[in-house]
Amino acid sequence: MHPSTVPFAGGFARTRKGSHLMTSRSPHFESSAEFVAEEIAFEPPLTDGRSLEDGAFDVREFARTAHGSHRGELDLEQVAESGLSVDAVRLLRLLRDLERSTMQRMRNLLVTATHKDARVTAFLSTWAFEKFWLADALDAVLEATGDDLDSSAPAGGLRRAAAERKERRGPVMRAIQGNIDGPQIVAAHVATGLVDEWITQAAYRRLGELATGLHSIIELINGIKDRHIAFLAEEAKRRLAASAKARRLAVRELKNMVWPVGAVEHSDDDRTFFDRTVFGTPGGRAEVSRIQGLVAALPGLASIAPTISARLIP
Amino acid sequence: MAFDIDKYTTNSTAVAWDDLDFDEFDRNPLPASTLRSLVYMCNVEYHTVCYLRDLLTTPSHKEPEVGAFMTMWNREEFWHGEALAAVLAKHGITVDYDELKANRIKLGWKDRLDPIKQSLLGGLVGMDFVAVHMAWGAANEWSANAAYLRMAEQENHPVLGELLKRIAKQETRHVAFYASQARDRLAASKKARVIARFALRKFWGPVGSTISSAEEVTHVMGRLFGGEEGRKLIRDVDSHIAKLPGMEGLTIIETSLDDRGIPADGPGAHERELISA
Repeated sequence: MHPSTVPFAGGFARTRKGSHLMTSRSPHFESSAEFVAEEIAFEPPLTDGRSLEDGAFDVREFARTAHGSHRGELDLEQVAESGLSVDAVRLLRLLRDLERSTMQRMRNLLVTATHKDARVTAFLSTWAFEKFWLADALDAVLEATGDDLDSSAPAGGLRRAAAERKERRGPVMRAIQGNIDGPQIVAAHVATGLVDEWITQAAYRRLGELATGLHSIIELINGIKDRHIAFLAEEAKRRLAASAKARRLAVRELKNMVWPVGAVEHSDDDRTFFDRTVFGTPGGRAEVSRIQGLVAALPGLASIAPTISARLIP
Repeated sequence: MAFDIDKYTTNSTAVAWDDLDFDEFDRNPLPASTLRSLVYMCNVEYHTVCYLRDLLTTPSHKEPEVGAFMTMWNREEFWHGEALAAVLAKHGITVDYDELKANRIKLGWKDRLDPIKQSLLGGLVGMDFVAVHMAWGAANEWSANAAYLRMAEQENHPVLGELLKRIAKQETRHVAFYASQARDRLAASKKARVIARFALRKFWGPVGSTISSAEEVTHVMGRLFGGEEGRKLIRDVDSHIAKLPGMEGLTIIETSLDDRGIPADGPGAHERELISA
């Protein structure tokens, strides 16, 4: 902060409008202020060539219009009448738990350079809030149908695949890796978040097939996710398009990720159930192809798209 | 009394200021020294997500009540930042995402190593480390609440006063959460009490002192809590902290004021400004 005057009032030279091309960091900075100014100016444009200021997702508007509790607007009558199948209840509980695991995800993101990006953290604060209330809406469904909020069956053991060890790392290893990765890790985080939202939207559509009475609730949930996707897609595209390092880190993260995000904490049984139920049908395979196509269309991620879809298919 | 998390989450909202007549700031602008304090407070509020990061290095967020609180608290504090930024904007001071990012980048290696340090400490101390975070959070929220109410009283500005009272009201709920968590966890473990007492006594500094220059911290603390009246308030906050199990006799805030040479009697910096004006 500026020591003797009102901090922020002077601020740093804001040259973002003129710096639409992402360049590697110039090695001849004379002061730390100059270095900081350059990091700030280091904002790639949108992929349609517009600057962030001219046409980006409006994070402030998103934060301002965030959706809180849905309890007043849920149409629970139909589902309360028809009830839920055993599979629908199990899938619903799993999705509810995944929506509720935002703080774990936040920790993994915030121990890296992602926490410095105030636009991204503003999004994440609101995103976590909205997901909290999505989980609450799913609780309301279970309450309406008279199903238990939690399963009485023992959870069973975790899946112990060697490839998943990275996803079980604690905050120390993540923070050390984050320091090595630097600010380009943000691209990998938004890309991972984006793929996760595509996967969970597919899971909600499948839940809608298992419980037709949930149609309007699932529409509401996927509508809220559409806004999350809009931000994550825009961020992923512009960051990946601008930097080879961002693309490299994104491929690395996507390769190691356990889908959906947060599932690594769930039992092997639950995960097998999720994969089989959501992606094991012909309709599920169509969803996988769709996701593969969406991933392949992101800058520099074509090579990783088949790996992701192979991991989704049970 | 136990903290009612369902009631808290249901009532959690973004602090509102749309209904306040912000044009009052055109007619009745705030003095430069107040704006300087507001910038400090605004920065602290926006920085909550970085405090959240440190809290998340402990396993406490897996407890549903703690995870729910953190989600709402983090968002409420973000909106306190937005509200204060709106006041500053009326005075031609811009606080946007770029400046916030610049400030976070400027924190440098200390900021990069913090989560590692916190995690390692958490690993060494175990679950009792959660109690330390909660006691620390209670001290911070108590002092933030006192700061907002004090500024509202000092400025006597109809719009700023109302906004600060709304913010302080939300901070009161944060205090309730942290204090009840700290009380339970400290009461349950001697190790937690010993470590929390040591950490508060040795390392606690005024909210914002890790992200602002010493000069700014002294300006804000002197203005809000300098002099007889301010000191009385701070002793009151210290007495709340001292009531937590194992924290008897602690005067961490008063000590931090003394360390910064902030006078304990006579008129405070704010009163002196008024007198000289």
